[in-house]
Amino acid sequence: MQAIFKREFLSYFRNPTGYVAIALFSFISGVFFIMQVSQGQVEIASEVTSLRSFFIVIVPIVTMGLFSEDRKRGTDVIYYANPITMFDVVMGKFLAAMSLFFIMFINVFIHMIATKILGGKVGVGSWGTVIVFFFLAALFVAIGCLASAITDSQIISAIVCFVFILIIQLISTLSSLLNTAVTTLLTKMNVGSEQASSIGSALENGINWLDPFTKTKDFRYGSFSVAPLIFCISMAIFFLYLTYRLLEKKRWSQS
Amino acid sequence: MIEIDNLVKHYGPKKAVNGISFTVNDDEILGFLGPNGAGKTTTMNIITGYLSSTSGTVKVNGHDILEEPELAKKDIGYLPEQPPLYLDMTVLEYLNFMCDLKKVKKQDRKRMLAEIMAMVKITDVADRLIGNLSKGYKQRVGIAQALIGNPKILILDEPTVGLDPSQVLEIRKLVKSLAKNHSVIISSHILSEIQAVCDRVVIINNGKVAAIDTISDLSKRLSGSSKLLMTIRGIGKDAAGRIGVIPGVNEVKIRRSDGDIHELEISISNEAKSDLRETIFFTMAQAGFPMLEFRSCDPTLEEVFLSITG
Repeated sequence: MQAIFKREFLSYFRNPTGYVAIALFSFISGVFFIMQVSQGQVEIASEVTSLRSFFIVIVPIVTMGLFSEDRKRGTDVIYYANPITMFDVVMGKFLAAMSLFFIMFINVFIHMIATKILGGKVGVGSWGTVIVFFFLAALFVAIGCLASAITDSQIISAIVCFVFILIIQLISTLSSLLNTAVTTLLTKMNVGSEQASSIGSALENGINWLDPFTKTKDFRYGSFSVAPLIFCISMAIFFLYLTYRLLEKKRWSQS
Repeated sequence: MIEIDNLVKHYGPKKAVNGISFTVNDDEILGFLGPNGAGKTTTMNIITGYLSSTSGTVKVNGHDILEEPELAKKDIGYLPEQPPLYLDMTVLEYLNFMCDLKKVKKQDRKRMLAEIMAMVKITDVADRLIGNLSKGYKQRVGIAQALIGNPKILILDEPTVGLDPSQVLEIRKLVKSLAKNHSVIISSHILSEIQAVCDRVVIINNGKVAAIDTISDLSKRLSGSSKLLMTIRGIGKDAAGRIGVIPGVNEVKIRRSDGDIHELEISISNEAKSDLRETIFFTMAQAGFPMLEFRSCDPTLEEVFLSITG
């Protein structure tokens, strides 16, 4: 796993990918920080929470080539024909992408130090958003890994990852729309309006249960709980497992 | 040693490999021949664990490739048709990465890499990016990665593709020298290459083994007899008659005549107890037929290949 991790991590800096991701993240976080400084009130929790909306751009950039590029160039044979397991490969690549996120995040740590130096406050809520940031990053990077293992095209992989993250970001809006649609449909089908509305709400609540953003929103206010973090990690493991199965399946491919 | 038993691989309704069985002995170079789409690369991919077979087994030094993959793969060095190279790494970085994957001990690494790079002649490009190397050098780096960890078995899929003639000769020499302590499976479209380096050949066609033998035995089996070609000066029919009565000679044909110079084709039965060339030479000498040319004329590997694969 160590060998794969080392190669993947360093490869981010052998081509523009790593630099582009770091530059983009630093620029966006810098803009948020400067805006707050200019208003005379810095809140790191607000900066980190806003940065989460840019997962949709940064995660596809970081993960799109993880597996697809190997398949395209025929270097995936290295992983199948050498004495290593596919688990090592998936974990090595996943941890390399996560490490890049850590490097990107150093910029936010610098903002925290600057805030302290300027006499501001970095409260528990700020640390809460930092913890959530990394757990959400793990979940989205795992989704990116799966998207990259599906195809040998980096572009398609990036689009799949983008759409997936977009759906998760809009999950509460989508579930509310679905609630309205289902309730209206059931009412038109002569189901009692109370019953229709309860089915619609149940559907909305069920889908909302999958929303990692809602689950972790209290961390910002210093209210920590383990369940949302376990949820993010479980989902990340689920997507990494799917990636692993997909890569193993290639060996048995009949097409 | 590799034991391949009844290997089958389905691609949808098509059987790419259909019941292939053969054994590769220790310190032997085995040529792997077949027309395009015959199942060569699929078979090689299954042997190395890149693909899984639908049924059948591959055992590498007694370890099943599916049941004990790590032990089996440790003994295999594989150069696929397209060398698996990371173009953004330098040669040395890449080979070190392969050492990590093959779990080469840190203390042995420097010496092993120096030896391998000297052997395939890439020492002078060790610090260059692989993406900037010529095709020939890339191929050599591909061979170098297959040699890392000193695997007992080397599987080389078209190792000389894209190389210039002098590089081809070098690689052939290298493969021959490797066979002193490795088993080598080499696939190639260049039949003269197989003829030059291999001890035995496996010819596959439509996913099945069409023939396994040494090249000379294949030639003999194909023709049912060995042939000699002789050019003499004199009366052709008389010479043919004298040779035809020698025990062990099946048939003598006059292939070409140019004035009193005749080219005779002599078929010799495989049951002939001794080498008849001396007897034929003295027969002609005693009869006063000057011999202008005398050579054996077994079918070439090309002819064997074409005849078997149709």
